[in-house]
Amino acid sequence: MQDLISSYKKNLLLSILLTFFVLLFLYGIFATNNYFTWFNFKTIIRDAALYGIMAIGLTFVTLSGNFFLLSIKETAAICCVSFAMGMSTGYGVESWVGNFPISLLVTLLIGCLAGAAQGLFIGLGGNPIVVTLGGAGILYGIATWWTDNLVISFRRPNDAEWLGTGSFLGLPTITWSFILIAILAEFVLRYTNFGRKVYLVGSNRAAGKATGHENLSMAIIVCTICSALCAFVAVAFAAQMSSAQANYFSAEFGSSGDMTILVIATVMVGGNSIMGGYGNTIRTSIGAIFIAMIDNMMVLNGLNSGPRIVGVGLMIVFSILVFALYAKGSRAQE
Amino acid sequence: MQSPVLKISNISRSFGAIHALKKVDFEINKGEIMGLVGENGAGKSTLVKIISGFDNGYEGEYKLNGQVVRFETPVKAELSGIAIAQQELSLIPNMSVAENIFLAGAKVKKFATLKKLSEEAKPYLDAVGLSDIDPSIRTNLLSVGEQHLVEVARLLSHDAQILILDEPTAALGEQESRRILDMVQKIADSGKSIIYISHRLDEIFKITNRIAILRDGESQGIINTKDLNVDSLVEIMLGRELKNMFPVKPTKIKEDTILEVKNLWPDGLIEPVNFKVQKGEILGLAGQLGSGAGEVLAAIAGALQIRSGSLVLNGKEFMPSSPQQAIKNKIAYCSSDRKKDGLFLGRPIMENLTSPALEVISKFGIRSASTEQKYSKNLALEFLIDVKRLNDESGLLSGGNQQKVALGKWLSISPEILLVNEPTRGVDVGAKSEIYQRMRELADNGTTIIFASTDIQEVTYLPERVLSFYQGLLIRQFGLNDIKTTSILKQITDPFNETNL
Repeated sequence: MQDLISSYKKNLLLSILLTFFVLLFLYGIFATNNYFTWFNFKTIIRDAALYGIMAIGLTFVTLSGNFFLLSIKETAAICCVSFAMGMSTGYGVESWVGNFPISLLVTLLIGCLAGAAQGLFIGLGGNPIVVTLGGAGILYGIATWWTDNLVISFRRPNDAEWLGTGSFLGLPTITWSFILIAILAEFVLRYTNFGRKVYLVGSNRAAGKATGHENLSMAIIVCTICSALCAFVAVAFAAQMSSAQANYFSAEFGSSGDMTILVIATVMVGGNSIMGGYGNTIRTSIGAIFIAMIDNMMVLNGLNSGPRIVGVGLMIVFSILVFALYAKGSRAQE
Repeated sequence: MQSPVLKISNISRSFGAIHALKKVDFEINKGEIMGLVGENGAGKSTLVKIISGFDNGYEGEYKLNGQVVRFETPVKAELSGIAIAQQELSLIPNMSVAENIFLAGAKVKKFATLKKLSEEAKPYLDAVGLSDIDPSIRTNLLSVGEQHLVEVARLLSHDAQILILDEPTAALGEQESRRILDMVQKIADSGKSIIYISHRLDEIFKITNRIAILRDGESQGIINTKDLNVDSLVEIMLGRELKNMFPVKPTKIKEDTILEVKNLWPDGLIEPVNFKVQKGEILGLAGQLGSGAGEVLAAIAGALQIRSGSLVLNGKEFMPSSPQQAIKNKIAYCSSDRKKDGLFLGRPIMENLTSPALEVISKFGIRSASTEQKYSKNLALEFLIDVKRLNDESGLLSGGNQQKVALGKWLSISPEILLVNEPTRGVDVGAKSEIYQRMRELADNGTTIIFASTDIQEVTYLPERVLSFYQGLLIRQFGLNDIKTTSILKQITDPFNETNL
């Protein structure tokens, strides 16, 4: 018991989050109809999975001290229309129509390229906000230009259904992907040299350079990881809807409005340091589930999208506040 | 016998288990210049903080003009006539000189034109010898020395009777330093008291009336300047003879060249430099701030842009363009500012120690925790870092231990050449001695060490060869037998006989 209390104090922020988590869960069970059902549980982790995967990608960027990518929803937008184009038109090649692997590969390639290009400019010293705002505009522009801002749909049955709506052992495929990606990401951060470099460069870029770990390659790699995961989510989402449009991730995504803000919120609510060098993907995953739970509860209580977006905003403010207070007390760096 | 304007008796201050000050006495008379000296960590800054009201958690008696006082905030101390000029400037660079002078304090007006302010600033600028400066120009157009003078002018505008000057000349060349010293003398003549803190003992001897010496938080008495000389003062400051802090030097200079610096011209130097470094020696680059000694080191490590030149390392031509390349060639560089680019303060000590050597302790890019543990433990043992604290954030360590981590991490790549800029800046006496010992042991085992330092003691007693730098020029080489404090001091402060100190 003593140990429990002392470890609670040591991981104050995480503990506060977990406490809230439990309280919310209890509130859900006893005060909300249809909450404690298998179906609802699946809905929650399904929602959490979609932005959780992207947030895991963004965690790498944030941990490495490169702040945020503001082009998340635009990257997802161009990737989702690219996938839909591949499924419905085969990019103009007759025999590729409906070919899942080719559509997936092309889309992931686009995602990686978008990430690498932005990472290059950030690594060369560009301000991440400015670079990715510019990147966002370009990507979104290309996506709407390419599709004339129309909905691109592809007929069912198709080869992508297993990813979009399929399930395995009772859980949706996307949820399994979330779990696997979270485990893999945490392994990479903890046990590989690359992961260690992410933390080192994130905690002090100048010292990173002095010990031979340059931010240039780091920025390119983390941005590529983040964008590739955005591409993956975009593919899964397009597969689920059997269609895609450039503005899917702006307004109609899930529930709470803007995708980029939601993903950044996930990283922040988990308690990762906004300045880099401190945090992990477990925090991000918990943040994702946390947000999904609150959002789900607001839905079940009959709130529509306006108040729910306010809710997400409040969560960001709350977590930043808690983190700032926590950081003051314990970390020598600030 | 006049009574002192400020008198401190029996002041103690502790932070947790650390006793920063133990029953310290201090006093200053009207119109007196009082030197305050002591090693880093001796308690100078704690004492100054208490005097100037930044710290009021002390025990003991603090009397100002015969009255017992205890200032809760620096502002209250200032209202009582005590003002401090910090070592780091607190001027706002983009504001005019006059605005900076009247930035805060009783004389701040709600509304005033720049012209009016300039007129009012004039007398204070005259008082510090800046009469030729237009008070309406932006502060960042002034030289660093002039900015220090403006800072003092600001203190004067607050009607300060006791001025504390904390290392006002630390970042200055000889000429500007002289300007500051002249100003200090002038202000003291006008009846104000000055507490002068400096590591430059020559200055202390030149201007002070009395010297207060601190060692390990204890007063070593207040002594009339004319009763002391450099050696006796240093002995009181350190509590032992200088020589005992340093390891024994080898008796002869090594002979096989490992590194040749050919026409290397880093930014910050006036002309290219040429010199050779022998395998297994400790070479000291002596020079004051801005002399270019540190720049040469950084350039060799690929951390600083160069205009031209190259290195010959083990007979091969080679010029690193980034620290990464230097590290691959077993050249390690420990910068002078460990907080900026020497340590990952928020990360554990263990991760700091292994940071340059991730490839060494991993297979296919994947580490095992136990290998890393073992590896960093060995490093920690070698450099006398507490192994129980390996998982603590390095930012929680004291300055001396931080420096050991910053240096020790480079052993992880077993460097052939270790470049160290200011090996003991902000390090206490005990840790200093340990670091010197380790550097000598490394050199004995074949590592070549080049260090740059502004500390005349370590330049004299640690290396077997010294190169002296002055204002961006390589002046002279000293061999084992001609390394003497006085001659090096002369070469790094005034090699061309421009001044008569």
